Amino acid sequence: MRQFTLLFKNPSFLISFVVFFGLVLVGLLFPIFVHGSPVDRLGCPFEAPTAHFLLGTNEEGQDMFVRLLFGLRSSLYVGLFAGTIATVLGVVIGLIGGYKGGLLDNVLTMLTNLFIVIPSLVVLILISNSLGPKGRSLEVVSIIIGATCWAWTARAVRAQAQSLKMRDHVNLAKLNGYGTTSIILMQILPYTLSYVFMAFIIQMATGILEEAAISMMGLGPYDSVTLGFILNNAQKAEALVNGDWWSFIPAAVLVTLLQYSLFVMNTSMETIFNPRLRKEE
Amino acid sequence: MHMSPLQKYFFSRVWWYLGTLLVAICLNFILPRLGPSNPVDTIMAHIKTPGLDPKIAHKMEERLRIRFNIDKPLHVQLGMYVYHTIKGFVTLDMDEAFGDSYMHNKPVWAYIGPALPWTLGLQIPTLVIGYILGNILGALAAYKRGIFDKLFYPMSLFFTSVPYFCVAIFLVYIFGISLEWFPAMNAYGESLSPSWSITYVSDVLYHYTLPFMAMFLVYVGGQAIGMRSMSIYELGTDYVKYAKMLGSSEGQIVRYVFRNAMLPQLTGLALALGMMVGGALLIEIVFSYPGVGSLFYTSIKENDYPVLQAGALIVTICVLIANFIVDILIGILDPRIRVAQEGENA
Amino acid sequence: MAPILKIDNLAVHYKTRFGQQVHAVKGVSFELEQGKTFGIAGESGCGKSTLVNGLMALFMPPLFYTHGSVIIDGEDITKFDKERLRINILGKVISMIPQGALNSLNPTRKVKDFATDVMLNHHPEMNKKEIHELLRNRFALIGLDPRVLNNYPVELSGGMKQRVVIGISTLMDPKVVIADEPSSALDVSTQKSVIKMLMDLMDKGIIGSMIFITHELPLLYHVADDIAVMYEGKFVEVGKTDQIIFRPQHPYSRELMDAITKLSSEGERYDAKDKKGVVA
Repeated sequence: MRQFTLLFKNPSFLISFVVFFGLVLVGLLFPIFVHGSPVDRLGCPFEAPTAHFLLGTNEEGQDMFVRLLFGLRSSLYVGLFAGTIATVLGVVIGLIGGYKGGLLDNVLTMLTNLFIVIPSLVVLILISNSLGPKGRSLEVVSIIIGATCWAWTARAVRAQAQSLKMRDHVNLAKLNGYGTTSIILMQILPYTLSYVFMAFIIQMATGILEEAAISMMGLGPYDSVTLGFILNNAQKAEALVNGDWWSFIPAAVLVTLLQYSLFVMNTSMETIFNPRLRKEE
Repeated sequence: MHMSPLQKYFFSRVWWYLGTLLVAICLNFILPRLGPSNPVDTIMAHIKTPGLDPKIAHKMEERLRIRFNIDKPLHVQLGMYVYHTIKGFVTLDMDEAFGDSYMHNKPVWAYIGPALPWTLGLQIPTLVIGYILGNILGALAAYKRGIFDKLFYPMSLFFTSVPYFCVAIFLVYIFGISLEWFPAMNAYGESLSPSWSITYVSDVLYHYTLPFMAMFLVYVGGQAIGMRSMSIYELGTDYVKYAKMLGSSEGQIVRYVFRNAMLPQLTGLALALGMMVGGALLIEIVFSYPGVGSLFYTSIKENDYPVLQAGALIVTICVLIANFIVDILIGILDPRIRVAQEGENA
Repeated sequence: MAPILKIDNLAVHYKTRFGQQVHAVKGVSFELEQGKTFGIAGESGCGKSTLVNGLMALFMPPLFYTHGSVIIDGEDITKFDKERLRINILGKVISMIPQGALNSLNPTRKVKDFATDVMLNHHPEMNKKEIHELLRNRFALIGLDPRVLNNYPVELSGGMKQRVVIGISTLMDPKVVIADEPSSALDVSTQKSVIKMLMDLMDKGIIGSMIFITHELPLLYHVADDIAVMYEGKFVEVGKTDQIIFRPQHPYSRELMDAITKLSSEGERYDAKDKKGVVA
């Protein structure tokens, strides 16, 4: 608990926390204040920002401001969904490998190293492409991102589980005849929670980033406007060269803000939760 | 045969990477087939136009089915794919390894071959220069603290957390379009044709500036952050305290710390390569840079399946090679790795 | 006989992040003669390890000098500037054997190279060949296989590392060696051999005199001539070894002796390590 009070006294954590949850609130609540469709043709193509179209229109005459809000919402959704999957996969694989050891651990470690070494974007591109445009809903995209990005978490959690299993309380539980599952759940997992939470934050950032990346490649979800999809459209319409800043800069700024706030949250938590770093300050 | 620990380490890495390569080749075959459609249908859907003679269409489909061995069992297909790919690599016959593009009826290598140097030319110098400079800045931030730390740390944190393609977009907009200091698109002027003339080379370098900076800023930031915390850690170790108590000079301590903090940085580099290269491919799209990243983009648009597949494999292979080099470097520089290796084999 | 080392009312303090001062060593005085060993005993946190820095006049933030003097050869080294202290005193006239000897060697440097680095700091006029020659001779003299010079620290056992550290710390025949719990991380037989090695070095005249710091008071019985018991940054009792071990006056000294006797009679971990191993 003391750590949490320390956390909220840390200015960089506080600012990034406010920025991120501010964006989450915007993504959740904007339909109350903003009405409009992200896909309807409401104006002429490439209209510059006016009072009516706060961020102008794109090549299809769609309202960029509304699209941006919808994009923010779906990107946050992907981040949460993919981040949860990746964290759960990473934690489960890491805990089992680290605690059990032996052959199982060797296999899992090898798998983890494979996923770390083979570029995840390449794997994502191949899978997304094979699913075809109709196979890529926002959920499916989130699932494949989660399924390819867990390796970092697994690696770190495995290392923690390996050192935790040497502790006295784990041995005691073993002597008392508790099974593997209950030891992992009761004696190991609780001690890795602060780390798992930080990993989750990074995995959310990764989820948002990877979605934007494959969407930019033209392999994003077909059923939603995401921030990456907005960038992909701008790219296709050559808005960049034409200088129609409103069709790509706001989306890029939002992606940047999301990434930066999540990153700073993570690093400031690290200085609080990791006493070694704190002492050195 | 007696091998030194370094040789043992070397061979164990060689085997590991060959194994990984085999897995990567298999994945490259399996992943595109996870979806509901097979490659032949995908291609046919693309080339079938209302005016196309159904007979010709049928013939094309026949040929495609043979080319992709679509009627054979999946494991046979996989076996043939792996066989041709490996045979192609071993005999350096890239056309055998990658086959033909079916959208353009040209060998795939005719697309990958020219694109690869642009990608390597963008990524290798950034990686090397960014690594060195990032580590120096990180070490300075750790050692000097004060102004270095206050200025560079937040800046580095910013750049390392911003996605490559966002930095690229900002740079294009600010320096390419608004200020017009540097060209915003392509790798060289459209009126020029590739040659070793001074005009051409300087034009290439001029176009190189923004894509290079986009990667470089992110990359230096990441390295500096890592190096800073590694150096702070090393500065607090027992061996540094001991060296100070024996009267070692500041310069001596800095050399120890720099070298030892660089080793985990190198490990980090090996682990991050896969992520970084992926991100850097997107920069090419923003700049319409004629590398493998842009090739991905167009082949996805055109549904040119063999080109995409070959591009994926080539990128993976490049990352594996880079990883291997880093691993070997670590083995040479860090005696602890070699000794651990010996212990494992004993 | 004039003492080699004279400590007079030495005090040092830490500055915390919020500018508060924490006094870690609060006015310590003692004298050390040629060929003698001075033992300092106290629990961890009593200021022992900070005292080591104080005795070497090595003040690095957040540690600062408060008052007092450290006089070697008639000169007060607390008044030296940093470079003079580093080149002429540290590791040369007054040297130390660190607590965490297992991690005290640079892991990526061969023993030979690290030792050469140390020598060159004080004797820049020497060349590498001379130094390597000197290292081989010295290691042979103190009973270490000169082949370990070509090893990296990871290739050495814990006990060997400790002995190598002692070898390097005493390369320049220091007048005073401070041994800070030199054996605490080692097993019983290695502990014994390390202490024996230090005694041998003193007999051979390589070490002038020694300050031996430990949290195990009984350990000092066979090592020290005089003992100080340290508590909360002060010496609460100073005296001859026999007197401190068998007739401790201060309640804290008695507690320190009792704690160990009690623990050992209960057959705890301490038993094997302290009693049988070293004192017996």
